[in-house]
Amino acid sequence: MDVLHWDGTLSAKDFRVGAFAFSQKWESLNSGFPPWVWVLSSKHPWLASPEEEGYLSLEKICISRPNEEDIDQISQIDTGEEEIGCPGNEDVIDDATLVQSSHHELHYCDFHIVYSSTFRVPVLYFRSYCSDGRPLPLDEIEKDLPACSSKELSKSKWTFITQEEHPYLKRPWFKLHPCGTAEWIKLLFLSDTAKPKFEVVLELYLLSWFSVVGQMFGLRTPFKISN
Amino acid sequence: MAKEGSESILQFTPLQSSVDEGFWHRLSFLKLNKFGIDDSPILISGFYAPCSHPQVSNHLTLLAESLPSDSNDESAAPPIIRSNRNRCSVPGILYNTNTMESFQALDKQGLLKAEAMKIWEDIHSGKAVEDCAALSRFLLISFADLKKWNFHYWFAFPALAFDPPATLVDLRPASQWFTLEEAESVSAACNGWRNSSATADVPFFFVSIGSDSSAAARHLKDLEACQHDVQKLLFAFYDPCHLLNNPGWPLRNFLALISSRWNLKTVRFLCYRENRGFADLNLSLVGEALVSVQPGWRERQCVPNAVGWEFNKGRKIPRCINLAKSMDSTRLAISAADLNLKLMRWRALPSLNLDILFSLKCLLLGAGTLGCQVARMLMAWGVRKITLLDNGRVAMSNPLRQSLYTLDNCLNGGDFKATAAVRSLQRIFPAVEAEGVVMAIPMPGHPVSRQEEKSVLEDCKRLNDLIDSHDVIFLLTDTRESRWLPTLLCANTNKIAITAALGFDSFLVMRHGPGPVNPNPNLKAETETSLAAGIDNLVLTNTDGWHRLGCYFCNDVVAPTDSTSNRTLDQQCTVTRPGLAPIASALAVELLVGILHHPNGIFAEAEIANSNSGGNFELPLGILPHQIRGSLPHFQQMTLVGHSSNSCTACCSTVVSEYRNRGMEFLLQAINHPTYLEDLTGLTELMRSANAFQLDWDDEIEAADDECVEL
Repeated sequence: MDVLHWDGTLSAKDFRVGAFAFSQKWESLNSGFPPWVWVLSSKHPWLASPEEEGYLSLEKICISRPNEEDIDQISQIDTGEEEIGCPGNEDVIDDATLVQSSHHELHYCDFHIVYSSTFRVPVLYFRSYCSDGRPLPLDEIEKDLPACSSKELSKSKWTFITQEEHPYLKRPWFKLHPCGTAEWIKLLFLSDTAKPKFEVVLELYLLSWFSVVGQMFGLRTPFKISN
Repeated sequence: MAKEGSESILQFTPLQSSVDEGFWHRLSFLKLNKFGIDDSPILISGFYAPCSHPQVSNHLTLLAESLPSDSNDESAAPPIIRSNRNRCSVPGILYNTNTMESFQALDKQGLLKAEAMKIWEDIHSGKAVEDCAALSRFLLISFADLKKWNFHYWFAFPALAFDPPATLVDLRPASQWFTLEEAESVSAACNGWRNSSATADVPFFFVSIGSDSSAAARHLKDLEACQHDVQKLLFAFYDPCHLLNNPGWPLRNFLALISSRWNLKTVRFLCYRENRGFADLNLSLVGEALVSVQPGWRERQCVPNAVGWEFNKGRKIPRCINLAKSMDSTRLAISAADLNLKLMRWRALPSLNLDILFSLKCLLLGAGTLGCQVARMLMAWGVRKITLLDNGRVAMSNPLRQSLYTLDNCLNGGDFKATAAVRSLQRIFPAVEAEGVVMAIPMPGHPVSRQEEKSVLEDCKRLNDLIDSHDVIFLLTDTRESRWLPTLLCANTNKIAITAALGFDSFLVMRHGPGPVNPNPNLKAETETSLAAGIDNLVLTNTDGWHRLGCYFCNDVVAPTDSTSNRTLDQQCTVTRPGLAPIASALAVELLVGILHHPNGIFAEAEIANSNSGGNFELPLGILPHQIRGSLPHFQQMTLVGHSSNSCTACCSTVVSEYRNRGMEFLLQAINHPTYLEDLTGLTELMRSANAFQLDWDDEIEAADDECVEL
């Protein structure tokens, strides 16, 4: 098999192998970020599967720091009925509690790299939330992305965000839709002047893939693809 | 930054909560499937870790794993604690109420005191030394509104309050307090503590430094044993807070333990914080606190006062989070449906106008084989507002061919189709706005008695109103006559009308042309002057050379001798090849979408399928034909064009103006007198002359064999 005849996809086994290679490389180069963790998870726990099924996880990455004006908008609903407070003698001022002035509301993001057996490519799932755990809707997440990303999202036919059920966690997460991945990955490798061998391509698959999709979130990987 | 000399009150940074969405999902699941209305307290776990970032504090986090697992045992066993170095597990208790009122009525003081008592007990019994995570025990009250998916909640982190409060003698970054050698050794010791699986999740410990500057990190229970060669002793704890001037909340109960258990008045403490997984002595703080004698603390029964309800943006009120977007199944269905359509637009059809489809109001006349399929196709295209009109009931043979019905609808005489169809649509997609109208369409040539007249005219009026209030009308009935009145009404108001008709093995799908009344907006300028005389005197604009496309009935007239082949179509044709209805219905809806995306809409000219056109279309959806006729035996389909006829019984200007002038009276006449319409339009005259011609032809038949020409 050579790159020319390759369709840009990856087998499940190659994904697992590539995932470990990717997380190791990440750890050695990206001292600013926590490591990717492989989460063992099975879609079919009743099958005695000898294979390790799972996904890569990188969580609680802080992606933004909105300014003070946003804080009022990030408010809860039903504040009318919340006026119950705490009756009784606890209202005595406790001198030992530090009273903090306005908080900067921070947004965090969790990333999961999951293998899609339909498209045979890795898929980036993500979700974003405030420091108290409140999930953020897509329009707020898009505000936190680097400026070039929102342009990319609206015009590129290869990058768009959809909301779907996380295949393992069974809750709605966002993901970068994978239908174009095989196409552009193949182009990426074909245009690589180093003309890597196919085995090398498989090893570098996740690195190359992430170096493109990670940029959507401002997660730059500081290594070249051909190396 | 060092604080020295001044003995200010030691102020602790409150712990903050963070609840992962998964916790609420799990709580909802348990509430619905396990707990029901049982509101006894639930043992849960929270997780926290030392601060790992110089500008951001860590929180006490609740995850899905914080709640009990799925096991069926009835005991209130605490959940399996899966802690690791990044998630130190601490015990907590959850009071989840069944109503908002009971949530508000909870005795918050009492609950806080009860938890404080547990901590106090643990301190006195020594359990807190063995299992020190219990010092950070917490309380959570909540009310889960599982209809609106609003979760009201409030955390309390009980802290035993010193009275008088402890004072701070000194506080500075650890790197400024240790010597270089000591710092190195302390870092190593702490890293060792953090890396060992036995101690990684133990959030309180002590650090002893010998005379040789070597440091060791040890369990609290080893404190009394370790007395030799200790130069410095610090009480260390995982500090989630990042601030340089204040220690974190866990220190409060730690101080309570230290002072009451070991009777120390001066406590040297280490707020342990990390960076990238390693001890960070610049971020970590070393401080000295002075604890004065607390009257009554010797007594076990005397529980100190407790504080700790979490502030919500500076106020002592509960928090609320709404998760409808990710938990309400209807919302999820809606967003999935929207996604599907958006994918179509993003990937293949950028000019797809989804807004027009979402806001479109469709009226389906007939809820049979065609009506059911058209309704489903419309929903697939994102149309949400659908009205179905049918006066029939679901019969036993219907479910096989009419895709919205099942056997249940046939029982007890059969449900009304219109209402059964609506229910079915709602089961498929809850967000559909569907309505059913049980009504018969008045038909010409089916005379009505005097008594029925009033109700028939009411039906006419009702149909008129329905057509007025919708944007698109689908004519999907099974008789030709029932299509007449809707055609007239649509022609009168220029509503988009689409007809589908089935023969045994052939079908017709067509869009009606615009009516004769309001001309094409492009020609408006020219006709406006001629309209000066008033609406009643409208002239068919055919004279301008602009041909309207025909309606279903125009066909009959344009080729009078050909009408035999057309008449087979839906002359009470209840038996058709099953494949026809789905094909015709699908084409009808696709035709509609084409009209909606054409800049001229109902006024669009007709195009025919041309084998030469290849893939290059002017419009992204392809051509917009007038009529599609299909034949199953040939597996063939043709696109045809038919222009309107001046003598059309349904849409010619004569008929439309009669209707405008005389309204219900005209309708009644048409309904009651079978030949009235043909007389009115001059069709009778036309037929008479055609027949006359034919007679002549018969006379000469022998003489002109080789000149015979088919009409």
